[in-house]
This record gives sequence, C-alpha cells and structure tokens, in this order.
Amino acid sequence: MKNKIRSKGGETATGIQGFQTQALLAAIVESSDDAIIGKTLEGTVVSWNLAAERMYGYAAREIVGRSINTLVPPNRSEETVQILERVKRGERVDHFETVRLRKDDLCINVSLTVSPIKDESGRVIGASTIARDITEQKKLREALTQRAKEILDVSTPVLQVWEGVVVAPFIGTLDTQRAEQFTERLLERIVETNSSVALLDVTGVPAMDTRTAQHLIETIAALRLLGAQAVLTGVRPAIAQMLTHLGINLTDVVTRSSLAAGLAVALEILNLKISARDGHT
Amino acid sequence: MINKSLSVVKIRDTLMVTMPTDPDDVMVSALQEAVLEAMEKYRPQGLVLDISAVETLDSFFARTVAETSRMVALMGGRTVIAGMRPSVAITATQLGLTMGTTMAALNVDRALDLLTAKPPRRESA
Repeated sequence: MKNKIRSKGGETATGIQGFQTQALLAAIVESSDDAIIGKTLEGTVVSWNLAAERMYGYAAREIVGRSINTLVPPNRSEETVQILERVKRGERVDHFETVRLRKDDLCINVSLTVSPIKDESGRVIGASTIARDITEQKKLREALTQRAKEILDVSTPVLQVWEGVVVAPFIGTLDTQRAEQFTERLLERIVETNSSVALLDVTGVPAMDTRTAQHLIETIAALRLLGAQAVLTGVRPAIAQMLTHLGINLTDVVTRSSLAAGLAVALEILNLKISARDGHT
Repeated sequence: MINKSLSVVKIRDTLMVTMPTDPDDVMVSALQEAVLEAMEKYRPQGLVLDISAVETLDSFFARTVAETSRMVALMGGRTVIAGMRPSVAITATQLGLTMGTTMAALNVDRALDLLTAKPPRRESA
C-alpha cells in the first residue's frame, strides 16, 4: 500500500505501512470529535483520545489502566459484560444508546459503537469504542414527541356538547400509536362524562384512506363495548364517495353530513327534544 | 380496584356477576358454571356481567362470555356487559374480539336501566 504524504517543506514522501501511516492514523484518532476508547477484552482501558477526555472528564493518565466500568452507572453494570461477549465473538455493537457517568458524576446519554480489534491472524485481542454524546439530541427528540402529542391533544379535544353526548373531531393521517391514543382518550371521556353518544366529526379529514377508515371502524367498535353509540358527522360528498369506493360497511352506523344534524340524531337516541319556551316546538 | 373473586348476586329479577381483576381460564370457566346454576335457581330475566375490575381480556374470556350470553338468551334472559375499561375495549377491538350480540353498558347502573326498562329506541340509518 503506497501513501503520498506531504511534509512541511512541500516535498512528498511515500510511506509504505511505515511510521508516517501510523502517525497519520494516530492524528486522526486524536483530532476526532468522537470519543475513541481502546479496551482489552477484560474491559481495561488502554487508549483514550482527547474527545474522550472532554466527554467523560477523565484525563488519559487518570483512566488508562483502569476498568471501563468506572464510566458505567451501577444499574447498568451487566452492559460491559454483554458488549464484550459479543465483541469476543467478532461482532460489532452498533449505535447502542445508553447512559454513562462522567468524572463529575453527571450522567450523560451516549451512543456507542464497539468494534473488535483483531491481530494479524484475525484473533480478537481487544475492543474499540466510539462514543458520541447524544444528551442534546435525546432532549430534542423527546421535546418533539411531547410537542406532537400536545398538538394532537389541542387539535382534537373531546367536548361534551350535551348531557350524555360528546363530540370528537376526527383527523386523518394518524399513525397507529396516535390513533390508539386518540381512541383511548375518547373512551376515557365517555367514562368521565357518563355519555352514551359520541359524535365522530370527520369534517377535518382531508382524505378517507384505508388506514383512517380502519381507525374509524375500530373506534366505533370500541365505543360499542362501552355501551355508547357512534354517529358519524360532517360526511362531505368527497368522503362519502371514498367510503363507498373503499367498500366500508357502515350500515349499522348512523351518518350525517353536518354536526348539527348529528346532534339532532343524538337527542333522538336519548329520547330528548328541544322545544321553544312558550311551549311551541 | 383489585378484586380477587367471582361474585354472583341476585338483585330483584337480575343476576349480577362481578368478575375479578385477572381471571384465569379456571375462573372464566367457573363463571359459566356459576351463571347457569344461578339461572336455574332464580330464573332471572337478565344477567349483568360486571367487568370493571378486569384489566386484560383474552379470546377465551371473550368466547366464554359470548357463549354464556347465548345460553342465557336460550333460557329467555338478556345479558349486558358492564364497565369495560377503555384500554381493554381498545385491545378487544384490535384483536377483533366482539362480544357477539351481547349488549354493553358503561356501568352497572346503566346495565340495570337497560334490563329493567324498555330497550332504548335506536335511530335507524
């Protein structure tokens, strides 16, 4: 293998698996932004780069020769054994997300990639870990999930519109998890308000696809198990067409094109009627 | 509410059966036996199956309930399942478990209303 390396004077030198290549690789490790840690198969630290010093707070001389378990929180002590077992078998542990302890006892979220170090005969003689601090990334991810949930909660309130009647706006394109959350919240509101009719308003559904239709059917079935009847409201011509084309069976579900019409149905179900104060209906 | 045992109580013309929190297969089979025995003894018009303490539902339970309900119907009675928990209802629908034509009520009060009054008028589509 031939490498051309430019020296300071502008001359080129060719290194063949020699000192220059080693120096180059060492420089790459030292200047890397990711912590790179070399360990024996027993878990003793043998190399520790600058990024590792910054990430974990230990200087190289403080940690080289000590066990990697110095960084592992007590409740995760089996992880080192498990990881090293896999590495001994020649496997690579990829992007393993876990928690590690800094020198100042601060816990950080990290992503670890551990690879086997092999000698010339291919025997595994150690492990090399690349660690990345993902604390910020994790916080952002969790904030996003929380935000998505809040948006869902705000955009789909289940309102009690009369004694025994709730209205739930249905929005399309919900993933399975959100759809389940929506249905569960609707059922909980039914219990809270002691309702027997739920108006599922689909005015806000942009398009009726198989998944939304499936969610609708499951919600209606779940409502039945709680003794509540569903009325589908806000069925626009486009939605009616799509439901028909999808062959969705809604023969035992009452449907109406507007929420107002749906409310009228709800009152009938509850055997109620609205009459004017002077006695005329 | 953690309920450990099956209870069968006669209230006027209705049989009230309360299921425990985590009914195993033995308990579920015992349910059917207990119901049939009580039906024989009291000849009630209706059966209320209170499952408000049940946290998990499996296909064996669902099937047994549907069967029991059919047996009760054959003997001239009606069955209402009361108090299913939201999480249980969702699991049941996801697994495609229906209780057949058995009626369901939000709670025991509603169940008793259903059985003692005329059936509520359902608007036809």
